[in-house]
Amino acid sequence: MLKTLKDIVRKSSIHVCIVNCGGCNGCDVELVACLSPRYDLEQYGIYVHNNPREADVILVTGAVTEQWRENLRRIYAKAPEPKVVVAVGNCPQSGDVFAQEGGRVLAPVSDFIPVDAAIPGCPPRPSEILDAILAVAPGAIAAKGRIQDK
Amino acid sequence: MILPIGPIHPGLKEPLRLKLKTQGEKVIKAEIDYGYVHRGIEKIMEGKTWQKCIYLAERICGICSYEHTQTFSETIEKISGVQAPPRAQYLRVITNELDRIQSHLLANSTFYKTLDHETLFMQVLDLREYIMDSIELLTGNRVNMGWNVIGGVRMDAEDKHLDAILSKISYVEDNLDRHVALFEDAPILGLRTKGVGVMTREEAIKGHSVGPIARASGLKHDYRQEHHTYKDYFDFKPVWRKEGDNYARTMNRYNEITSSINLLKDAIENIPKGDIRRPVEVKSGYGEWRGEAPRGEVTYMIETNGNLIKRISIRTPSIMNIDSCAKYMLKDVATVADAVTTYASADPCIACAERVAITDISNNKFITKDFFEISKEYNNKFTTNDFFEISKDYNKKVNLSNKFNYNNDLEVN
Amino acid sequence: MTSFINYIYNFARETWLRGFVNSKSKEDIADIPDRFRDFPKVEKEYCIACGSCTASCPSPNAIKLVRDSDNEESQGLTFPIINKSSCIRCGFCAEVCPSEPKTLYCGENHFIQEDFNIIPSKRKYVIDDYLCIKCHKCQDVCEVGAIDLKNNRMVVNQSKCISCGKCLSVCPVKGAMKGVFIANLEEQKEIIQLVVDTLESYIESKQDDLKEIHDDKLFLSEIDFEPLFKDSLNIINDEELVYEVLEKAINRLNIRLVIWDSTLCNKCQLCVGECPTGAISFDNEYDEIVRNKDKCLRCSICYQTCPFSAIKYYSAKFNLDKKDSGEEVIHITVKESQLAKRRA
Repeated sequence: MLKTLKDIVRKSSIHVCIVNCGGCNGCDVELVACLSPRYDLEQYGIYVHNNPREADVILVTGAVTEQWRENLRRIYAKAPEPKVVVAVGNCPQSGDVFAQEGGRVLAPVSDFIPVDAAIPGCPPRPSEILDAILAVAPGAIAAKGRIQDK
Repeated sequence: MILPIGPIHPGLKEPLRLKLKTQGEKVIKAEIDYGYVHRGIEKIMEGKTWQKCIYLAERICGICSYEHTQTFSETIEKISGVQAPPRAQYLRVITNELDRIQSHLLANSTFYKTLDHETLFMQVLDLREYIMDSIELLTGNRVNMGWNVIGGVRMDAEDKHLDAILSKISYVEDNLDRHVALFEDAPILGLRTKGVGVMTREEAIKGHSVGPIARASGLKHDYRQEHHTYKDYFDFKPVWRKEGDNYARTMNRYNEITSSINLLKDAIENIPKGDIRRPVEVKSGYGEWRGEAPRGEVTYMIETNGNLIKRISIRTPSIMNIDSCAKYMLKDVATVADAVTTYASADPCIACAERVAITDISNNKFITKDFFEISKEYNNKFTTNDFFEISKDYNKKVNLSNKFNYNNDLEVN
Repeated sequence: MTSFINYIYNFARETWLRGFVNSKSKEDIADIPDRFRDFPKVEKEYCIACGSCTASCPSPNAIKLVRDSDNEESQGLTFPIINKSSCIRCGFCAEVCPSEPKTLYCGENHFIQEDFNIIPSKRKYVIDDYLCIKCHKCQDVCEVGAIDLKNNRMVVNQSKCISCGKCLSVCPVKGAMKGVFIANLEEQKEIIQLVVDTLESYIESKQDDLKEIHDDKLFLSEIDFEPLFKDSLNIINDEELVYEVLEKAINRLNIRLVIWDSTLCNKCQLCVGECPTGAISFDNEYDEIVRNKDKCLRCSICYQTCPFSAIKYYSAKFNLDKKDSGEEVIHITVKESQLAKRRA
């Protein structure tokens, strides 16, 4: 009984923190667009707080620059369990156009913190972001929570 | 006491550390730490063909991505001694103004978010979606458009596209007045914005600030006045205000949106028929060109070698604006809450600003101070302009200082 | 209780109800305009494996050419695959794709006019008419029909060329088909200058050995290729280009050297007046002949004038070779000038 209740609560109230670790800003703008009444992220029970200490989902954008080498792990450690990391855009997955000779990026993000899901696109459309987050986040958080409870 | 804000903070869109020196609630002084999004774009561009560089230039900044590609193409067109055909120039103006509107709407909505005025935040964001729709309709993508090429634009706009854009623009125009009135007349919003974060005209000149921020402080400068397209085909006058506070900056952006809408209507009405692209044989040489991005003036300096980019240096507006924001606007702000709103009202774009990273050679670490502080440490030897100069000529860097390695994007590894 | 009544009142209002009914569902938001450039779609069958999509892609790792394994009936297809986590959806690959019909589709089909040669390639392919034997092999192998016979000359149409390099590999005459690096010509000159300088200074350092050789005997030596290669990479950081420039420069180089033996010089100053460029002068202060290397044309007039044989004249040839151990070396062959015999 308690477990199902926990599941329902975890599925319906997700707090999100956006971490821009060195991208072009495009994905962040599209995430802000998700908040707009047209897409309305909050109707699915997802709240963007930008505070890692109360986050269930960490949305990573950007290609991990020099300064984020340590800080990214620190932010991940600060988020309470159960937590899910979603890589938004190409930068955290492959470094995008910056992963060339002369670029100072350390992509992918998965070298630093475990990544649960990825949304390709440079940047992805808000509807793609919404689809991906809804497909992954609630289920993953509930599943992780169940493992943690045991 | 020193209060650090960021790099991850509910009030900030992008990673940056604000250090506020406070006396009780009052902010006396502010410092800014950079270096969180330095990717080395200028270095990557070296030795690549322009076809590849134009997509890199686009990814300098996601919000004003369009102006970067336009200035990049126009610089190379200038080196090669050609101009885009008139229809392409009109299409560039249309996209540029659409991009400016969406950027200003986003800036204002973020400002409302920091003011905790959720209603206006949501409504302005909703308005922005119509502009994003028309950008996607025209160019094929919402943010990084991939629409400019050297010698013109990639796709032609058909009449149905232009009509759809016009109808969306008129919708925005009709609804904008309501939102402006909501902001203009609200007494509580007035209390929180009027007279907060004042930057005078003299300070704006001293801090080299550009764009809507400088124009809100009474500097009547807009590069569009001198741009050949606007000069030849449009009747354009810059919008400016005198007050220099948060209210003036926000209102100035609204007024610029109105002026952009007028430009757009003019452009869609009078767009000529003809080619949209001209074949260009890129010549070797050096060229400088400027453009007015939503946040201010962008300067590109490019040295080409045939089809390849030999050396590129980019000066973006945000670097000056953030510096002057920290130095003048955030000096003597009444409360910490106002400090964050003041910072948001300056419309900072960190991804733009991170052109130069400074590393200490002795321990190979980034120095994350702002440039004013560094220049103070070294007896006012440098100003922001010097960093700009250094990045222009990287042979100079060795002569200027032995202690620093100007690890600009161009340092030869 | 009042708040509950308030809720009921609000929900019952007409505007709220209309808003609730008309609110957009997921399908409406996912409404995508025709022009939206999604990830490129690949039609395997049409691919001609020219590689222009991979060459033009601005993002590294985004597009790759792969080949199916062969089976009994047919050869495996070669086709591009898109890596979604790297693709930036610029549609450039679809724009440059030369196959007919196009292999790659991305959003509204981008047209390309012939006069925009937009494949970013380092090389430009040209045919040397002097060497060309007009065997038409390149024409047969060209996938896009860029090579044609015009006015009895084989010509590459640059606006059609996709820089795949197939013509270069089939050309039976060495040097008739050229893939020249069009960009950074100034730097290429610098590299050649570097080669000349290094080799010349190396031979000059071996002056004592050179004195030993007479008449038809040759002076043979070797120098490592590696340091020269590394120095050249500092000028242009492109291994492929640098190696090709160096290889061509070294194999074709013929250096003439003027070497002075100051012990034999009697300061008669005959050579000073003879030198056509004024490269030789007499320094009164130090009482010696001074030669300006940069002005010297290596014309051998001083050598022919000198009555005391203080000046020696050599010609040197080079060859880039690979040792059995895999190390690359430059063979140097120095020969005393044939003019000596005539003088005798």
